[in-house]
Amino acid sequence: MKKYSQHPLTWWLWSFAIAISVARVNTPLFAIIAVGVVGLIVFSQREDAPWGKSFNWTLKVALWILAIRTIIGVSIGVPIPGTTLFTLPRIPLPDWMPGIRIGGAVTLERLSSALSEGVTICAIIVIFGAAASLTSPHRLLRVLPIAMYEFGVAVVIATSVLPQLVTSVARIRQAQRLRGQNLRGFASYRRVAIPLLEESLARSLDLAAAMDSRGYGVKRTRTKYRPISWRMSDTAIVLSGILIVGLS
Amino acid sequence: MIKFSNVSLVYPHAITTVIENLTLEIAEGELVLVIGPTGSGKSSLLRLVNGLVPHHTGGILAGEITVDGLSTREVKPGGLAHLIGIVGQNPINGFVADTVEEELAFAMEALNLPQEVMRKRVEEALDLMSLAALRSRNIATLSGGEQQRVAIASALVMHPKVLVLDEPTSALDPIAAEEVLSIIHRLVHDLSLTVIIAEHKLERVIGFVDRIVLINGDGSTVIGSAEEIMAISTIAPPIVHLARALGLSDAGLSVRDMRRATAELRESTPITDVTSVVPSSTPAIEIKKLSLAYGSKVALNSLTTTIFDNEIVAVMGRNGAGKSSLLRSIAGINDLQTGTVHIHGLVSKDLHSKVRRETVGYIPQEPSDLLYAQSVEKECEQADKDNQIDSGTTFGLLAQLVPGVSLHTHPRDLSEGQRLGLALSVVLSANPKVLILDEPTRGLDYEAKRSLTRILLEFAKTFNRAVVLATHDVELVAELATRVIFIADGDIVADGPTIDVLLSSPAFAPQVAKVMAPQPWLRVGDVIAAIEKKIL
Repeated sequence: MKKYSQHPLTWWLWSFAIAISVARVNTPLFAIIAVGVVGLIVFSQREDAPWGKSFNWTLKVALWILAIRTIIGVSIGVPIPGTTLFTLPRIPLPDWMPGIRIGGAVTLERLSSALSEGVTICAIIVIFGAAASLTSPHRLLRVLPIAMYEFGVAVVIATSVLPQLVTSVARIRQAQRLRGQNLRGFASYRRVAIPLLEESLARSLDLAAAMDSRGYGVKRTRTKYRPISWRMSDTAIVLSGILIVGLS
Repeated sequence: MIKFSNVSLVYPHAITTVIENLTLEIAEGELVLVIGPTGSGKSSLLRLVNGLVPHHTGGILAGEITVDGLSTREVKPGGLAHLIGIVGQNPINGFVADTVEEELAFAMEALNLPQEVMRKRVEEALDLMSLAALRSRNIATLSGGEQQRVAIASALVMHPKVLVLDEPTSALDPIAAEEVLSIIHRLVHDLSLTVIIAEHKLERVIGFVDRIVLINGDGSTVIGSAEEIMAISTIAPPIVHLARALGLSDAGLSVRDMRRATAELRESTPITDVTSVVPSSTPAIEIKKLSLAYGSKVALNSLTTTIFDNEIVAVMGRNGAGKSSLLRSIAGINDLQTGTVHIHGLVSKDLHSKVRRETVGYIPQEPSDLLYAQSVEKECEQADKDNQIDSGTTFGLLAQLVPGVSLHTHPRDLSEGQRLGLALSVVLSANPKVLILDEPTRGLDYEAKRSLTRILLEFAKTFNRAVVLATHDVELVAELATRVIFIADGDIVADGPTIDVLLSSPAFAPQVAKVMAPQPWLRVGDVIAAIEKKIL
């Protein structure tokens, strides 16, 4: 087993800094480079643990968001003149809604503006996904102040139960494949979603009950069995993040 | 130590009370077993002890429960953490840390114990549960038995006075279960720990419990010594059924006592020949050089075997030996495997939709994975539609398997046994040529197990089908299987008629066989049949 190297807050702070600079620079190129760098770090540093896979999942989710945003962006809203790529059938709207249209000509300018807005947002999502991927949620909980009890429970549940769901999805899909189900289309997602939702609820309740019966949150202060130390490398990583914010 | 005075419990929107007017006093160092049919409220009773019910689950509680003088009404579960260690049914769901050591320290950290104390207690608990070698391992990579031990150890570090265990052995193989239970037994005797335990497999625990609380499911409870309860309970281990059948009701509950009482019977009967069922010669499942590896871990190591029609094959072996992998490969859903699996001449991996449903039926470890509709009715309709059979057929099947299930119930609200029944009827509605079940008896009571046995025997016999099941339950294997395949580390280490495989190892011998050795009798029915033959 690989030994932990970084403090649980390090990657979160760093990701936060990168996300800020992505938002400040606000160019698609910078956002894509940031995602690339973050991706490299994740693939070289993450552990083989359930939460390690959250990066891949946020990447997928981000791509979905990007696609949906772009489709909506080019088909609804105020037209931007320019090179016409293709023309969609236009849906007539009443007179009291001037300036807005659905469908019509799709211009290159419009497409690129929709894409670049989307890329920035998605990059920020992916960057936080990377932080989740690099940090053990359990260790994160241990450094959070006990005053954040409810928040702490929610964080642990969200970050430890959700990744386990990734394995559950695979298991449930497998089982349903055996029932000879056609796994395409929206209906198939519903068929996976229902058992999944039930399982995650049951798991979260179990975990909350276990934490409760083991005295979590009873005392205001909390001792540490193995103190988690903040090392030079942590400082260096966080400083690099701040530097990037400064430069952006 | 624990005092229940006139305790009644009702869940909101429920029609029946879970527990009605229970008065019970448990002394220090007592080991109390809670039994009852599935869904009768065993878990609720256990969780009442530290106040998880009703603080965490809701519900209306009447009466008073005190633990060491503290009332659960006034103190929240967290406030009793130093007093009560509780281990839930699925310990993996309750783990909050990554490594074994951190998990053990969690509760002590929460209660702000000084670091030196924590260090000492962690070492103590590691030794007590023989976990020292695993101390820095990631919990997710441990086997089921090891996880169970970690869960118990992390309760013990608090030096609790009471330990509450909800079915601690249901997921464990017989040897791991034996290990966990003997540790609990030792704790009771050495540390005078008070233990309350719920368990379906009575044969594993009945020997060392002081008292039994029997929950009937209608709210009423009976409390008494093991002998008293076993005299009246329908929930009883095979040894009690054997004693009843032989008219030796006061012979005791241990294998040793029963052996003494039946010595004459055993010796006066000539050793009967083993009559094994001859399977048909039509191969149902042909497995050739099947290998499977997850990363560097070998799950299956070039297995070759053939399973014939009309055979009921039990796949046994340690936790993590490769049983589930083998079953999934037979069903054709392991994409990483090499080698071939043919079911009646068809490659199992290439099956899909209707042909798949009609060729192989598979019940996963969590039967609810197969279910997704909002009600039993919709689930059954979907199965009827899928298989183009008359509407109502699937529900008819379900009514036969588990009578009394309402059409409008949500599958989630069914008991474990009922849910298994529903999944089974959905799968059986396609009348598959081969039926595969992965640990079907987890969490099932004796009654549900009996009906499962009946259904599977009937299915194999009427339709001349092959059934393959993975299980840890030797008693089920004795009742059901015609052949046992024993897997260790991805290899088949034993393969033969049930009687040969089960009798060759004391750990896997069913209770009746232990009592009746050297006679080759596995079931109560075998003993009766042998006696009748002698009289005739």
